[in-house]
Amino acid sequence: MLQAINLTKRYGPGQLPSLDALNLSIQPGEIFCLLGQNGAGKTTTINLFLGFLQPTSGQAIINGLNVAEHPQETKKFLAYLPETVMLYPNLTGTENLDFFAQLAGFRHTPDELHTLLSRAGLQTEAHGKRVGTYSKGMRQKVGIAIALAKQAKALLLDEPTSGLDPKASNEFSAILTGLAQTGTAILMATHDIFRAREVGTRIGIMRAGHLVESLSASDLTANELEAIYLQTV
Amino acid sequence: MLLRTQRLIARQVWTTAFKNRAVFGLLIGIGLLLTYAAATGWVNVRQQNEIGRIYQQQARQDWLGNPDKHPHRMAHYGHFAFRPKAPLSVFDFGMESFLGNTIFLEAHKQNSVNFSEAGFSTGLLRFGEISMAMVLQLLLPLLLFFLGFGTVATDRETGTLKLILSQGVDWGQLLVGKSLGLMAVMLTLYGPVMVVTGLLWFGLQEGTVSADQRMRLGLLMGAYFLYLSFFCVIAVLVSARSKTAKTALVSLIGLWLMLTLVLPRTSQALGSYLYPAPSKAKFLADIQADVLKEGDSHNPNDPHYKRLKDSLLTAYGVDSVQKLPVNYSGLVMAEGEKISAQLYNVHFGRLLAIYDQQNRFSKAMAFMNPYLAIRNLSMALSGTDFAGYVDFQQQAERYRYEMAQKMNDLQIHFISNKKPGAAEKPHQIDKKHWEEVPDFSYQSPGIGRVFAHETISLLAFAFWMGLLGMVGWRLTKTLTAI
Repeated sequence: MLQAINLTKRYGPGQLPSLDALNLSIQPGEIFCLLGQNGAGKTTTINLFLGFLQPTSGQAIINGLNVAEHPQETKKFLAYLPETVMLYPNLTGTENLDFFAQLAGFRHTPDELHTLLSRAGLQTEAHGKRVGTYSKGMRQKVGIAIALAKQAKALLLDEPTSGLDPKASNEFSAILTGLAQTGTAILMATHDIFRAREVGTRIGIMRAGHLVESLSASDLTANELEAIYLQTV
Repeated sequence: MLLRTQRLIARQVWTTAFKNRAVFGLLIGIGLLLTYAAATGWVNVRQQNEIGRIYQQQARQDWLGNPDKHPHRMAHYGHFAFRPKAPLSVFDFGMESFLGNTIFLEAHKQNSVNFSEAGFSTGLLRFGEISMAMVLQLLLPLLLFFLGFGTVATDRETGTLKLILSQGVDWGQLLVGKSLGLMAVMLTLYGPVMVVTGLLWFGLQEGTVSADQRMRLGLLMGAYFLYLSFFCVIAVLVSARSKTAKTALVSLIGLWLMLTLVLPRTSQALGSYLYPAPSKAKFLADIQADVLKEGDSHNPNDPHYKRLKDSLLTAYGVDSVQKLPVNYSGLVMAEGEKISAQLYNVHFGRLLAIYDQQNRFSKAMAFMNPYLAIRNLSMALSGTDFAGYVDFQQQAERYRYEMAQKMNDLQIHFISNKKPGAAEKPHQIDKKHWEEVPDFSYQSPGIGRVFAHETISLLAFAFWMGLLGMVGWRLTKTLTAI
C-alpha cells in the first residue's frame, strides 16, 4: 500500500540528504512505526508521501501510484494526522468533521457524523462543543474521525501521541489497532518507544536520513527495543 | 456541483469571521460611520441644491427687476452661475467642497469659482469630510486586511493547512475559496451601502432617472465591487505567501499605508514638482500683461484702438466718432472684451494643460495603486471631479462672455454718442431688454466624458484583475504546505 523506493530528499544542493535512499514497504493491516531523533528524516518521509515535498530522487508510491506524478489522486487513498490537530476552534467537533470530510468529497448525515466521532472515541457530550474548548486528545480524536470518514487505505501519523496523557495515548493505540485490523496501512512517526512496541507490527529506526534498523515488534520487548534504539542513534 | 470545494472553504471563512466578536465590533463601527456619511451626504446635497436654486432664482429676479439703466452698468451689475450637485455626489463628495459651485459673473472679469464650502467652514471640513466613498476606499480595505491576514497563514501555523491539502484540495481551490469567503464578508457591508446609495440617488432625482445616471450608478457599483475584491484577493495571496499570521498582518498593514497614504501623496507631490503650475497671482498678471500688449482700451492714442476708430470712420464716411450711427465706446468695449476673453481662454487652456499633465501622472500611478484608480473613477462618475469643475467654469465663462457682449451690443445700438449735458437725464435703455439675456443653466456632461477622462483608471482596473489573477495562478504552482 505504502512503498518507498530509494526515496531521497536533499533540501539544498551540496547539503547532506535529509532522507537517503529509503526503501520501505507497508502492507494493508500493517502498522509501521518510525523511531529516531529529531531531524532523522521521519517527517520528511511523511511529507514526501503526502506530496508536500518533491523527492530529489527515488519514488514514494501509494496504492501503486507515484506521489510525485499523481499528487491529487494519491491523496484519495490517504489520511493524515499532524502532530497537533488544531482544527477550527470556533467550530464544533461535528462541524469540523463535516467540513474536512466534505473537502475530501464525502457528505455525511448528522447521524453518521456522530457515529464517526463516537467510533474515534470522542464522548457524545463533546460533539456539539467548540473545538477551542477541547483537550489535545479530544482534537486528536476528531482528527481520527476525519481519517475514518475518508475511509483511507493508508494513514500517515506524525508524532500523534506526543503530549497525550497515558489514558488518551492508550485509547489512541486501541483505535489504531482497530483500523489496522480493517486493512489500513499505517505509517507512524513517533518518539514513544513503549507505544511503538505496543501498537506497531514493524519498527524502523532512523538516523541522519537512513533507515538503519527494521525490526518486527513481536520479537522484542520494550526494554530490548529501547536498548537497540539507544545503540543505534 | 460547481466550485463545490471552493464554496465549502468560502463558507468556513464566512463562519469564522462572524464567530469572532472583534469583527462584529469593527463591522458595527464602520456601519455607524457609513450611516453618518450617508446622512451628511444627503443633508449636504439637499441643502446646497436648495440654496443654489433659491439664489439662482433670486439673482434672476434681481436681474430682471433692474430699472431702466445704461447697459454697461448692467454688465457690471453681473449675475451668478450656479451648478447643482449631481445625484451621486451624495456618495462621493470629491473635490466639490473645496472647489465650489457658484461663480459671480461680471463684465471684463473671469472670476474663478469663488464660493466653496471650505472657504466658509471652520470646523469639520478641516479634518476632512467623511463620505461613503471615502469609507469604502480607505477603511473597508483595512477591515478586509484584518479579516483576511490569517485566512491561509493561520492554517499554516496551526498545521490545519496540511490537513486541508491532504484531503485532496489543491492550491487553486484553496485560494479561490478563501477569496470568495472574504468577498462574501465584504458584501455584508458593501451590499447595504450600495442599496442606501441607490435609494438616496433615486430620491435626489425626484422621479426622473436618466439613462446617463443609471449607467453612472451601475458602473460605480461594479467598480467598487472590483476594487474591494482586489483587496480580498491581495489579503489571501499575502496570507498564503507568509510563514506566520503575524508577518501577514504586518505586511498587509504596511501595504495599506503604502497604497492609501504614501503613494497618493508622493504621486501628487511628484506631479506638481515635474509639471509646475503658476500661482494664481502670476496667472492673472500674465493675462493682464498680454491684454496690454494687444491694446489699452482706456488709452485714446493706443494704436490698436486707433486703427479700429479709423476703420469705423472710413466705413461710415464720417469724420468724428460723435457722428457715428452706432455707440463708439460700446464697440471699443466689445473689442476689449473679445480680446481679454480670448487671452484668458488661451491662458486658462495652458493652465489646464499643466494640470492635466500633473493629473495624468497621478492617474498613471493607478497601475501601481488601485486606490488611485477608484478615487479618480469614483469622483468622475459622481460628477465631483476636477474635470467637472473645469467644465462648469468654462460654461460659466461662455455665459459671462455672451452676457457682457449682449450688453455691449445694446450699448452700440441704443446709446447715443453724445454725452448727456449736466441737466439732461443720463443715457439709459428700457428694462425690457434685460429679459433678452437667458438665465444660466448648467448642462451636466454625459458619461462619455468620464470614459474620455478616466480611460487610464478603467484600464488600471483591467490591469489589476489580470495582475492578481496571474500572481494567484503562479502561486498555485509554487506554494507549499510546509
